[in-house]
Amino acid sequence: MKLETSAFLDKAKEALMETDKVQIRDFIGLFAPLARNAALGNFDKFDQLRDHVKQVKQHTLDNLDCYLGQFEQEAIENGNRVHFARDGDAMNEIVLSICQEHRAQRVIKGKSMVTEETALNDHLIRAGLEVTETDLGEYIIQQAGETPSHIVGPALHKTMPEIRQLFLDKHDLGPRELEGAPDLVAEARTMLRDHFLNADVGIVGSNALIAENGYSMLVTNEGNGDLCANLPPVLIICTTLDRVVPRAVDATAMLRMLVPSATSQAITCYTSFYSGPRRSNDPDGPMETHIVLLDNKRSDILDSNYREMLQCIRCGACLNHCPVYIGVGGHAYGSVYPGPMGSVLTPLLTSLAESHALPNACTTCGRCAEVCPANIPLPDLLRDLRRDESLQKLSPASWRFGTKFHAWLATHPWLYRTLTGLGIPLLHRLGRKRGAFRSLPMASAWTSHRDFPTPQGRTFFQQYKTADKQLDDR
Amino acid sequence: MTDSIRSFIMGKIRRAGRGASVAQVSSELQSLGPAPTPSLISESTSESFIANVLINKGTVECVSDRSAAVKAVADYLYQRFRSHKLVAGNDSRLAAMPWREAGVLPRFGSAENGDAAGLSYARLGIAETGSIVTWTGKSCPATNNLLVEDHIVIVELADLVTTMELAWERIHQHIGKQDKPRGINFISGPSSTADIEGKLVMGAHGPRSWHVILIGEVSGSSLEKARQLAGQ
Repeated sequence: MKLETSAFLDKAKEALMETDKVQIRDFIGLFAPLARNAALGNFDKFDQLRDHVKQVKQHTLDNLDCYLGQFEQEAIENGNRVHFARDGDAMNEIVLSICQEHRAQRVIKGKSMVTEETALNDHLIRAGLEVTETDLGEYIIQQAGETPSHIVGPALHKTMPEIRQLFLDKHDLGPRELEGAPDLVAEARTMLRDHFLNADVGIVGSNALIAENGYSMLVTNEGNGDLCANLPPVLIICTTLDRVVPRAVDATAMLRMLVPSATSQAITCYTSFYSGPRRSNDPDGPMETHIVLLDNKRSDILDSNYREMLQCIRCGACLNHCPVYIGVGGHAYGSVYPGPMGSVLTPLLTSLAESHALPNACTTCGRCAEVCPANIPLPDLLRDLRRDESLQKLSPASWRFGTKFHAWLATHPWLYRTLTGLGIPLLHRLGRKRGAFRSLPMASAWTSHRDFPTPQGRTFFQQYKTADKQLDDR
Repeated sequence: MTDSIRSFIMGKIRRAGRGASVAQVSSELQSLGPAPTPSLISESTSESFIANVLINKGTVECVSDRSAAVKAVADYLYQRFRSHKLVAGNDSRLAAMPWREAGVLPRFGSAENGDAAGLSYARLGIAETGSIVTWTGKSCPATNNLLVEDHIVIVELADLVTTMELAWERIHQHIGKQDKPRGINFISGPSSTADIEGKLVMGAHGPRSWHVILIGEVSGSSLEKARQLAGQ
């Protein structure tokens, strides 16, 4: 996907004008947190499990050399070919060369954010391959020529009438009613069945790579990932090296956090563990399996102050709870990963120079950290990125000056109190009659959208001092 | 070329790590203890399993023995498809069932596109999640779970475990280091999607219905309680 992060503010403004999309997003922002709470409501040990999963994940990252090596060895013993890719282009090239080795024409794919990150589809299509996304959401946006707006529900931004029209335009099936979600799902099922049965190569992602036995965990509801992993003669698992967990029980403990946070279920319909190619007595399964492990700066993140971001399990809960994401939607971010997790990850996977708009797309409300099943301090990481942005002089000079001036003032309490002690009563006197200001110098970002309420008359500190004195006098 | 990239990436990861010995790493992991497990929906394992299967949009029937299971399969097939056709894996337990008694004609092998119903004999059932566990091989071809319209699963009461941790314990007992199955599948409902405006629709790509037949002594009151727990 083409990186368009620098246009965040313009795209956000546009997004706020699309009233039908705003309605969809408001619905997600309201319904998804309620559903998540209901799903976790019965789970009395959420905090303990979250701590445990975090500890295991931190332990894994602290010793990633050990566990990645173990996974690689087990996966090779299971009959896989394991490839390392330094960046997205390298992963795309490895996948293409496997396809070409097998003279593959038709490729089917399960949902994979990693291959969105590397823009694998474009690479394979340019080389003449037919690539079909099989997750319904991904299929819809592929047909529409769009990119995912959400890491779990990639087509959640599309309305049902839009999807209906898309299918009528793209599927040559003659006149038909096509009313309602069941009709649309049934049509996609029919269209995709042939692709499943006739594909030369299946490509899927991985939710966890289990070091102790070399299995790869695949979590889906539709079963499309499993069809991709079982029917074509060649299977390629495209994933990243931070998906490694030590044991099978660690993968399923993580699953207990992942699924309620992502889809508000206790478990998805299909949770599968794949070890490699078909065994000698097996009636089915791929003849050859490959695992491509993408780095793409993750080893740099591992060696940085942002290591905690590698604990992310891609559940999307932070998106559903973020007022900025719900306000402007995933496409405004201009990157594969939107929302709070994307605002941290994108600058780390690209560069802060390209993507410094994203860490600013945050109100520091802290909801993302509250619900994050991996316990990642997302607001802290976003703040640190903004600090780096300032240190690297990427933010406008006026912002940096303003922040520096405020920091200086805040570290001189006497002056701070004197100045605010003069300013607040002045504002009170000026605006007392109307109760609010329509415009204020240096505060147009606020007053161009809403009135600024007139202060009550005295600063907090002035009132505190008075109250304190009264207490002393009693 | 590939080896040098591997060395380069592994080198970076090693430098970012602590350089702990394998023994040290292993003992540290052990010291983290087991993951907390959720309380079951009921004190009874079978009730919890049944309730969670129902919550997962499956249907459940409890039967006392294999003969009754055959009859349950026959009734289900007749009700759903007015037919007694079925695809089943080459599982010795399935082969030994008295199919003729109920007039069912299983085809033992792999399901193909267009097959209406597939039957699997689960290795395990997990009460915590209402899942059944199968693994790929002759006894349970992957297509029998995935390509059919209706997926029927037989699971024995004795094969129910409470948590996913205990499921792994049993799986590890079954499979040896040299004998790892290609795929281990936790199946927890019919294929579903909510990708269109968040509306839940069954039968996205795989089975539209998922029917679990539990063999063992489960009382009528347990079944009733499980239905209540599932809000039915």
